[in-house]
Amino acid sequence: MIEIDGVSQVFQTSGRQNHLALSNISLTIQDGAFVSILGPSGCGKSTLLYIVGGFVTPSQGVARVKGKAITGPGPDRGPVFQEFALFPWKSVLGNVMYGPRQQGVTSAEAEAQSRRLIEMVGLKGFEDFYPKELSGGMKQRVALARTLAYHPAVLLMDEPFGALDAHTRTRLQNDLLNIWERDRKTVLFVTHSVEEAVFLSDKVVVMTRSPGRIKQIVDIDLPRPRRRAELLLDPHYQKYVVDIESMIDDTSEDELHP
Amino acid sequence: MMSGRTLVSRLAPLLACLGLLGIWQVAALFLDTDSFPTALDAIRAIPSILGDKESLINILASLRRMAIGFGVGVGVSIPLGLMMGRSRAVASFFNPLLMITYPVPKAALMPIIMLWLGVGDVAKTLVIFLGVSLPVVFHSFQGAKAVEEKMLWSGAAMGLSAAQRMIRIVLPSALPEILIGCRTGLVLALITMITSEMIARQSGAGNILFNALDMGQYDTVFAMIIIVGAMGIGLDAAFEQFRKRLVRWSEPRFDLPLSFS
Repeated sequence: MIEIDGVSQVFQTSGRQNHLALSNISLTIQDGAFVSILGPSGCGKSTLLYIVGGFVTPSQGVARVKGKAITGPGPDRGPVFQEFALFPWKSVLGNVMYGPRQQGVTSAEAEAQSRRLIEMVGLKGFEDFYPKELSGGMKQRVALARTLAYHPAVLLMDEPFGALDAHTRTRLQNDLLNIWERDRKTVLFVTHSVEEAVFLSDKVVVMTRSPGRIKQIVDIDLPRPRRRAELLLDPHYQKYVVDIESMIDDTSEDELHP
Repeated sequence: MMSGRTLVSRLAPLLACLGLLGIWQVAALFLDTDSFPTALDAIRAIPSILGDKESLINILASLRRMAIGFGVGVGVSIPLGLMMGRSRAVASFFNPLLMITYPVPKAALMPIIMLWLGVGDVAKTLVIFLGVSLPVVFHSFQGAKAVEEKMLWSGAAMGLSAAQRMIRIVLPSALPEILIGCRTGLVLALITMITSEMIARQSGAGNILFNALDMGQYDTVFAMIIIVGAMGIGLDAAFEQFRKRLVRWSEPRFDLPLSFS
């Protein structure tokens, strides 16, 4: 279980002014839940994810994982970034093996595991390629495999498909759901796409812009396993999308007429 | 099978060298003065220098100082540059020092260093070390600064400590940039090697060159210039091979054979 308890984040801007990025966020995420954080750009949703990752220390409040306050990054929480952040000097296999090797898994065992994961994300045959030789979608598949390789209990996904074209994005969403349905890790997924959030999640946390606050938490009560073609025709799905979109519109409205 | 185009681009440096020698030959014949021997005369003087035991010892002594100065320079500068790139405190301490020493011609420090350390190997090696250090520090600094934060975060999540991240993430991702600095450093090492010997004449390739100049042996002077030039090209080409092997994984970039960065 992840608990975010009264977390605020203040950044100092270049003009030495304090900018309140997150304001008093409290949120509980159950084990095995797929939770999306949805909001316009600049609402601090990524910052919230970085706080859970331990990459950023909150100005106020505390985040806990399994009841323990988060003091830094750890292999129990695996990030997947929009920028992929692969190690360019390592091959696909080398990237995926990196985490297990660091955890002390033997070379042979790490390699066998990594080859299975590379196959699972659909990149069999690309083991010896370097990241620069791969497309964006393939890089993100490698990044996902690299994170899954060290068995984090929680996946922290920071707009992972944001830099991809629409077609690649859809395929990766489907594949992510298939992978997730096998082992049901806890996923915290940051996105600004309403459809993506509804399609993937059990729960969508809608945030307001600047300072980032939780506007509403929407439970997505749609059956799993979800199939894209069925879901797009499902009026319940459509209603969720429309409702959540209107919440985000309201947010912008507030901003235009304070 | 090599295509015509690659053959031309491979031969281009050679053709350029031959063209330069040709122009030199014609110009020297045209000017006809003692202090400007023809290219052929200079080339003819090379075997007598390289065949002379004394000269070879001198040249090897130079190369040994250069190797030590370069090795120590790179060994100190890479860690320093990387730490500057990752820590604002380290950067703000060393940056002013580097900014002051950057524009000073390192050979100009030679007389002072000679006062302290004598005219021997230590003084000359120190000057070479100084010449090598700055570009290597600078490029290592730039390389470390440009390392993607999220790559370090990914490493931290896998359990890498700060020191491990420095060695296993910052160093390899800055490597292409570091090696550009090392390549510049290598050429500067050769230059400072010769100029240090110009000032502290005791042994070395520079010593042969400037003694010959004093005695009016102009073919030897120009032969030495060719030898030093050839050493520079040879070292640079060898280093470039080594560099390409190390950073095969990085973005391919357009490069000419024997191009000077």
